[in-house]
Amino acid sequence: MAAPSMKERQACWGARDLYWRCLDDNAEDAARCQKLRSSFEASCPQQWIKYFDKRRDYLKFKEKFEAGGFQSSQSTENS
Amino acid sequence: QGPGLRTRLLITALFGAGLGWAWLAARAEKEQWRQQQRTEALRQAAVGQGDFSLLDHKGQPRCKADFRGQWVLMYFGFTHCPDICPDELEKLVQVVRKLEAEPDLPLVQPVFITVDPERDDVAAMARYVQEFHPRLLGLTGSTEQVAHASRNYRVYYSAGPKDEDQDYIVDHSIAIYLLNPDGLFTDYYGRSRSAEQIVESIRRHIAAFHSVLP
Repeated sequence: MAAPSMKERQACWGARDLYWRCLDDNAEDAARCQKLRSSFEASCPQQWIKYFDKRRDYLKFKEKFEAGGFQSSQSTENS
Repeated sequence: QGPGLRTRLLITALFGAGLGWAWLAARAEKEQWRQQQRTEALRQAAVGQGDFSLLDHKGQPRCKADFRGQWVLMYFGFTHCPDICPDELEKLVQVVRKLEAEPDLPLVQPVFITVDPERDDVAAMARYVQEFHPRLLGLTGSTEQVAHASRNYRVYYSAGPKDEDQDYIVDHSIAIYLLNPDGLFTDYYGRSRSAEQIVESIRRHIAAFHSVLP
């Protein structure tokens, strides 16, 4: 299996970006983005899909963390 | 009566000056020795450290000595990389192009070394590098040769689990390395450095460079 060419890579990134934008616009409701999800899965190698899904989870976590969305744990507060 | 006050002061001054001169001479000699030690250490590092024995994307054998006299920007990645490698290579190539546009600066040689020798053979490397820059050199080799090169540059890499297509992602450290014309590791640039910042840094290194090789 050859590596994706630059063109294929960019098509994959484009499909991923459209899918992610849909998730952003629909409060992460994947059901509303099914068509774009299918397009994403058709445009990228499977390993990349797994990688990008993990990356999105990480980016969302980072965004929330930086916004101070987490409260300190009870044990930390009491110590 | 002994020597006069003036005579005694003169003798003391001369003695002090002699001591001062001797100390400065000793310090200069020590500094010169230290510099010679450093130059010799750099010379040995230039020749002995960071060597590799790999094939380029045209099947030609390559080692570090082939790049003697050239500034080198080096990146370790793999062709099946989802996003970081192509992003970093694109940045590296932007740097190369910006420097190419300055006629008073020497050309910088871009090099991409694979950490996935199992899939990245000569043909795969040729397909990959030609999409970035005509002078981007792809280097590959046997598993052992790649491991040797990676160890020499302190590059971590580890292939992940294979899926049903036998596809996998290789986890690896991310840095662009700068080697000077003597082949010495000179600087590295991480993800957060922009092409402009890297160009500025390289310009400074070029201005400050003096060869330690004969």
